Amino acid sequence: MSTIPTLTDTREGRATRPRFLGGLTWLVLRQHRITTLAVLALVVFTSLWIVYQRNELTQLLDAAGWPAKEAPIPVVGRQYEYLTMLLGSLPVVLAVFLGAPLIAADQEQGTAQLVTTQSVTRRRWLTAKLGWCFLTVLAGCAVLSALFTWFWQPHRSVLAGNWLEGEIFDSTGPMLPALALFLTAAGVTIGLLLRRVLAAMVATFVFSVGAQVVWGELIRRKLGTPRFVTYPLDGDLPARFQDAYELDRWVGSADGTLYGWGVCAEATEKATDACIEEKGIVDNVVEYYAHSQMAGMQWAGAGILIAGTALLTGFVLWWASRRPV
Amino acid sequence: MAETSTPERVSGTWALEARGLGKRYRRGWALRDCSFRLPAGRICGLVGPNGAGKSTLLGLATRQVEPTEGELRVFGVPVGDSAVMPRFAFLGQDKPLFKRFTVAETLRLGRELNPGWDAAAAERIVRSGDIPAHARIGTLSGGQRTRVAFALAFGKRPDLLLLDEPMSDLDPLARDEMGTLLMAEAVERGTTVMMSSHMLAELEDMCDYLLVVSQGRVRMAGDADALVPAHTLVTGVTRDGSLPSALDGHTVIENRVQGRQFQAMVRPGGPLSADWQVSEPSLEEVLLAYLRSPDAPALYTPGARVEAEGTQAA
Repeated sequence: MSTIPTLTDTREGRATRPRFLGGLTWLVLRQHRITTLAVLALVVFTSLWIVYQRNELTQLLDAAGWPAKEAPIPVVGRQYEYLTMLLGSLPVVLAVFLGAPLIAADQEQGTAQLVTTQSVTRRRWLTAKLGWCFLTVLAGCAVLSALFTWFWQPHRSVLAGNWLEGEIFDSTGPMLPALALFLTAAGVTIGLLLRRVLAAMVATFVFSVGAQVVWGELIRRKLGTPRFVTYPLDGDLPARFQDAYELDRWVGSADGTLYGWGVCAEATEKATDACIEEKGIVDNVVEYYAHSQMAGMQWAGAGILIAGTALLTGFVLWWASRRPV
Repeated sequence: MAETSTPERVSGTWALEARGLGKRYRRGWALRDCSFRLPAGRICGLVGPNGAGKSTLLGLATRQVEPTEGELRVFGVPVGDSAVMPRFAFLGQDKPLFKRFTVAETLRLGRELNPGWDAAAAERIVRSGDIPAHARIGTLSGGQRTRVAFALAFGKRPDLLLLDEPMSDLDPLARDEMGTLLMAEAVERGTTVMMSSHMLAELEDMCDYLLVVSQGRVRMAGDADALVPAHTLVTGVTRDGSLPSALDGHTVIENRVQGRQFQAMVRPGGPLSADWQVSEPSLEEVLLAYLRSPDAPALYTPGARVEAEGTQAA
């Protein structure tokens, strides 16, 4: 059909030139250059901050002779609070600023059409975009999570907050990257469906906050199998349970029957004693998660979130292949 | 260029070939039962009122829209096959470009994403518009941006160039410049062009092929040179206030009765009555008559019509 003379020489010349960064990779990195640099800057800054705080803390503890002696109070200042807040909000920030506009911006500005009328299919383009987005989120969060775990883990007994609280559990180990990936994937999906950047960012923010509430209220505390410890009614909880997370507390009789904690809360001590006597209550029973379960629970949680990420990603690719973005 | 198309040619010589093509959105059919052929090497004007289905048709041809029914082939390759992608280039209505990219980066985008990129041609088009390579797209004027979009389209070295109202937002000077550029590049390479436009004068100057759509259906398709002469503007005396029965042998596209006089746009089915005044209509008059009369039968010149399934010429 077309009889245009082909400029074979120029084409071959280009093919032989080594290109480390070409095709869609170049395009995606160029388009998201500022965002990539911003994420990089945030990660570097936060990393240095964590290292600095850890350094401050170890110096303070060393000076105080910890752990042989009591740690001074307060052991950490406001900075630690800000750091946990920053890490806690990082997944939402990434979802809103990386996820939501990822496709929506190209839909809104028409550049999705520009790219997909070159010689690349929508699916390849989306794969490149998602690849950049997920890699950036994963790498950034993995670094910060590793550093914060390195900060928190050895000093957890002197730092405020139990390990099953969101600010620790969701910001250490595999949880920070997994949560950020899931929320970002949700942001991408919301953006793809809404096709408007601002609307997508607002909706992603609302979704992320809602998802974290649901996660904290309904899911986080069900990720493991609770254990039980029984100790005498007039005794103290053994010291090795200090960093356990207490789920519930009962009283029990010698034959193992459990009663609610307040079953014998009577008006007078006499009545209480009579009640305890009558029911044969001899033990305190505590339902708890041991700190040794933390890693397993974090991986279980991360698994759920990664599965959710995979589902959302599959949906995005399927949606885009059956209709134009 | 304006060689007469014959249906006997192989399918590869059809730049576009639609068979029963249709697209339904939630609000209804945007395009329906659309069958036509566009021979390679032609400059085709796509005409129709707003909402006629022009953009849908261009969207179908550029893989931006999935057809609900029927099929569309680009140089014989079904449009759903990604192998058609290097064959066409598309210039949308608002010519989207990355605003923060420089001109050089925009051309690099073309190079990175297209296997047969013609850097020399793209750079020539940009240079002849005196656009600095390091200027950001966001700082360019509308005409300059259109020129960069053209460079991107021609750098892809397409066999088929699809344009959706490419000049609509340009001032007269830039429009003239882009029109000249488009024609020069297309003729030099033998690129098939399909462009939608509202400007009939623009179409008359540039196009040697026409595809007229209205209300989602093809109204007219074929050689511009053959479509217009197929029509005659007839003026005569009415019989009892209505059209004379002598018109029955001809296809009346549109008629207007004024007192004792009538005027009709007809496709003569034989010799016309000597009582009538006849004149050859302009392209504009023919187009308007078809657009105003959605019930008039569609007109295809030989070759533009796609016959029933299975009779595709070998």
